[in-house]
Amino acid sequence: MNVKKSVILAFLVAVGILLQLLESFVGIFMIVPGYKIGLANIAGLFALYIYDEKSLAYVSLLRIFLSSLMQGTLFSVSFYLSLSGGILACIAMIIAYRSKVFSIYGVSILGACFHNIGQVIAITWIYQQYFMQLFLPILLALSIVSGILIAVVCKKVLSRIHGGFYGKI
Amino acid sequence: MRKADKILIVCIMVLSIFLCVPLFFTKHVNSYASVYVKEKQVLRIDLSKDKSYVVNGKLGKVHIEVKQKKVRVTQEKSLHHYCSKQGFVSDANVPIVCLPNETVVKIEKEASQDTVIQ
Repeated sequence: MNVKKSVILAFLVAVGILLQLLESFVGIFMIVPGYKIGLANIAGLFALYIYDEKSLAYVSLLRIFLSSLMQGTLFSVSFYLSLSGGILACIAMIIAYRSKVFSIYGVSILGACFHNIGQVIAITWIYQQYFMQLFLPILLALSIVSGILIAVVCKKVLSRIHGGFYGKI
Repeated sequence: MRKADKILIVCIMVLSIFLCVPLFFTKHVNSYASVYVKEKQVLRIDLSKDKSYVVNGKLGKVHIEVKQKKVRVTQEKSLHHYCSKQGFVSDANVPIVCLPNETVVKIEKEASQDTVIQ
């Protein structure tokens, strides 16, 4: 990893942390308690498309660690929820990206879906309460919306960067 | 957007609808609610009586109110107050979960009578 790449990845981690913190201040949807769009995933998806799968894992996992460190929730329940969702989303996105079947929309939607699935698995495992799985259908349906939203934003940013205004990264 | 993406979206929609189906076919007679703090049942509330209860969550006291066979969290110490914003709950499928306080309020149906052998 050269210096330029590591600096850009560090910037992407910072963007992810900032988006995650900003999003935690605003409760957007009250249809499902605790539902979030997951704007922080923009940074991870962007890293996947400008570099490679490893960069996605770096950006996502570092973002989860550092943002929970800043919020003071490191190694608490919400951290483990975030981590399990993040790891599963990373794996799903990498597999979808490598298969070359899906475009950025499909990769993003799969990431959002598996983030929710990971969180539900973690909460079922931690609390041994199976009723949380009842939220899964609603969360899956909402993850299509959030996945498309994130993909649209990421595609806009990618087209501007590849458009040559800042030069190719 | 490619064809595979559209197929994926349709598949997820169908999956979520199929997962929803069992929810509409379960009807419960609400008789009592259980309050769990850190996975342990600390309180069993009779829903037929209108009353207020207080339990000790992880961050502080959690105030629970019962009114007309419905239950809600009125006051709690947490970051976003999701559980008090949720309002009254009367469905056994919808629990009130307060993660910062590690408190769960869940409506449970009375254990139905087993088969009687004469």
